[in-house]
Amino acid sequence: MPNLPKIPLESWISNIVSWLTTHLSGLFDLMQKGGQSIMDALTNGLTAIPMPLMIAGLTFIAILTTHKKYGFPIFTFIGLALIANQNLWSDLMSTVTLVIMASVISLVIGIPLGILTAKSPKTAAVVKPILDFMQTMPGFVYLIPAVAFFGIGVVPGVFASIIFALPPMVRMTDLGIRQVPIDLVEAADSFGSTTWQKLIKLELPNARNTILAGANQTIMLALSMVVTASMIGAPGLGRGVLSAVQRADVGSGFVNGLGLVILAIIIDRFTQKLNTKPGQKATRKPWRRWAILATVLVMIGGGVVNAMTSEKTTGQKVTLGYVAWDSEVASTTVLAQSLRQHGYDVTMTPLDNAVLWQSLSNGQVDASVSAWLPYTHKALYAKYKNDISLLGPNLHGAKTGFVVPDYMKVNSIADLKDEANKTVTGIEPGAGEMTTAKQTLEAYPNLSGWNLSSSSSGAMTTALDKAYKSKKDIIVTGWSPHWMFSKYKLKYLEDPKGTMGKNETINTITRKNLKQDNPKFEKVMDKFNWTKDDMESVMFDIQKGQSPEQAANKWLKAHAKLADSWYK
Amino acid sequence: MAKVEIKHLTKIFGKRPKAALKMVKQNKSKDEIVEKTGSTVGVYDISMSIDEGEIFVIMGLSGSGKSTLIRLLNRLIEPTEGQLFIDGQEITKFNKKQMLDIRRQKMSMVFQNFGLFPHRTLLENTEYGLEIQGVEKEERRKRAEQALDNAKLLSYKDQYPSQLSGGMQQRVGLARALTNDPDILLMDEAFSALDPLVRGEMQDELLELQANVQKTIIFITHDLNEALHIGDHIAIMKDGQLQQIGTGEEILTNPANDYVKTFIGGVDRSKVLTAESIMIPSLTTNVDVDGPTVALRKMADEEVSGLVAVNRKRELLGYLSSDEAVKARRNQKPLTQAVSTMPTVALDTLVADIMPIIYDSQTPVAVVDANKRVRGVIIRGSVLEALADTEGEENA
Repeated sequence: MPNLPKIPLESWISNIVSWLTTHLSGLFDLMQKGGQSIMDALTNGLTAIPMPLMIAGLTFIAILTTHKKYGFPIFTFIGLALIANQNLWSDLMSTVTLVIMASVISLVIGIPLGILTAKSPKTAAVVKPILDFMQTMPGFVYLIPAVAFFGIGVVPGVFASIIFALPPMVRMTDLGIRQVPIDLVEAADSFGSTTWQKLIKLELPNARNTILAGANQTIMLALSMVVTASMIGAPGLGRGVLSAVQRADVGSGFVNGLGLVILAIIIDRFTQKLNTKPGQKATRKPWRRWAILATVLVMIGGGVVNAMTSEKTTGQKVTLGYVAWDSEVASTTVLAQSLRQHGYDVTMTPLDNAVLWQSLSNGQVDASVSAWLPYTHKALYAKYKNDISLLGPNLHGAKTGFVVPDYMKVNSIADLKDEANKTVTGIEPGAGEMTTAKQTLEAYPNLSGWNLSSSSSGAMTTALDKAYKSKKDIIVTGWSPHWMFSKYKLKYLEDPKGTMGKNETINTITRKNLKQDNPKFEKVMDKFNWTKDDMESVMFDIQKGQSPEQAANKWLKAHAKLADSWYK
Repeated sequence: MAKVEIKHLTKIFGKRPKAALKMVKQNKSKDEIVEKTGSTVGVYDISMSIDEGEIFVIMGLSGSGKSTLIRLLNRLIEPTEGQLFIDGQEITKFNKKQMLDIRRQKMSMVFQNFGLFPHRTLLENTEYGLEIQGVEKEERRKRAEQALDNAKLLSYKDQYPSQLSGGMQQRVGLARALTNDPDILLMDEAFSALDPLVRGEMQDELLELQANVQKTIIFITHDLNEALHIGDHIAIMKDGQLQQIGTGEEILTNPANDYVKTFIGGVDRSKVLTAESIMIPSLTTNVDVDGPTVALRKMADEEVSGLVAVNRKRELLGYLSSDEAVKARRNQKPLTQAVSTMPTVALDTLVADIMPIIYDSQTPVAVVDANKRVRGVIIRGSVLEALADTEGEENA
């Protein structure tokens, strides 16, 4: 086997994407702005419709479309009521918006493309391999160029969903048209139909059910991408699932997931009702159609009335980005609640760490209070330092390192031999601490052959809890402030080489022009600070089962003086 | 002037038509050509002319290229070579637009599997041809309803094709083709998917229709009886090539080659006919079970005036004529007493030996096997036919 040089595929692809990003930035910005405003309008429209009215309306439509069976209407009613009861209504509406947009665009692109591939073998030869590629590539991969092109938010989510959900639409349309019996096509031809007439009068009506089945699949795939897209800031139920995964919170993950399941079943049943057999046109009474139309109009009307009468939030809009680590959930929620009390309209966007820095650098997020410097996020800071402003520390005495339960005998990284199956249990692969941990494994000769397993911060604490209870060895990548130090007896391992960083600070970073655009807010961000103990008390409250907002409000009440000092 | 004129029309399917064409000219068989070139010869060097107002039947076994030929006529399939004239215009030179007009105004097609659109009602199906021409709704409805009325299907106009029997569906197919008022009707095995009884009815209907409308009808079939029944001229095809064109009479009396001969069921001299080869299935009545009324009903159904009487074991008892059955019913006698004897021959009896028997007998002759079981009957017609064949050959 001759030693072939490695083909620089990665850099080629990166170069292509960055070329596209720089040269088409105008177009992408336009799409981002336009898409964002359309989606916002849609979401606002949906949330404007009063919840009880919408639930009643959808249940009524379910009754009208189901014949003499009550299962589906009852399911619709109970399912939606349950989602509303769990306070997931606005998340549900965001998800519905994303799914509607992704599906509609997939239909608009997919059906004509499917017709084209059915009619032209050449097009099919080009398109089919591309479809195969699109469908088998893991959905996560689409998130990366999506962020590069459109930044964070709902637009890249839709973009990624479309790429993922488009193939079945094209395929099923193609199949449906090809499946029209040849003698029917010949008959249409023999009467002198033009290609267009044949398509409209014969092929599409006969392919209708196949196309609808494709649409149904497309909607389901778009739904499945909702969770993935939430990693890059797409709002909705996916966000709840994702942060539950990161915090290893079974209950909230399940509830959010259940919301998605209920939504999926309702959409699926409604789309299946559109199927009819040819030659057996449903002898629907016309009044049913009118009733459905009237119900929809009433719902929209209710939405309009509600939008007119409800008060607009007049606060300044600011966006805080954070990573769903327990420490950052605590600090960001406290800050957000405090800002809200001072009349700001705050959006909290949970993101993956690398994406967070990137969206600060391109100005999509106003600020973040979760930069761990100088060690943990060194690489990211080096990459983006010219495009962001560093306002300085908001918390001193932070520390990262290898953490073990104190019943383990080992005290220094240099003394590790073969404890814990030579494994260090880590967190999200994108986290800064993982980079330093990797460097640590390389720096210490006694750690050759050890490996670093990545998961999520929540999964790491779950693993720690399990090992601690059964008195097993475990080494984790830990950091303080963290509630685990108040819950378990743990110790940091000494780090003679200093590769895991010495004492660190958590810093506040903002986008470049925040000072010019919004000096008042920038000043608040500059002044925001608190202590390790403050943070750990909030974290511990959340850990014990309070919601982040409750814990934040409790802390704010107790420390009003400190909180007020941020605004002076 | 001929309505349709075909000159040296050829269609080769596949990727290497030139090579295949060369091989056809060397008289290579279809299989050989497929093996060598991967191309199939659909039709090769067909020339014929079809007069206005005649029913021209194209016959052949499956794979003989007859369906390809009919699709070449309205260019659903593009010919590889050759010319096609309709009313003196060479339509093989027409562009897409002109071709659409020809299909809309001059030709209509009827398909073996009816080709009705399942998502449209009968009326919507019937008016399709006018609809795509952009005829006003009122006008096209009127004409479509007229066509359905002629097909005696007007009351079904809002039904869907799946709700109808095959015969009805094909009547709709025909009505749909006629609504356009075309000069030429192309019928591709139009009646092959129907059961024999309905098929006969449809053939008669077509002849009746033709008497009224005088269209040029090009009719494809693989059934010789159908061809003889309706065709003014018949063309016989084999492996994409024309074997013979002529009236039914000409083809039966002067088959052009061996293929046509075997096709029309001609017998060669060497083969000596036996009773078995000319007998037809017998219509029997089991007199142990059936009464006179049942027997009479059977006769009425089968349109005959007598039945072969058998017992439970299907052994021959004799012949039951309608007169005897009527008498039996009147006198309330069982059928066993109404049976008259009938002449019998064995399976391997020669036709020559059967002749005298059949001339003397009032009834058909029963063909029985060694166990006295009835296997079939011989009627005068079948003997005459057998004779006609041999005589024809002697004269030839």
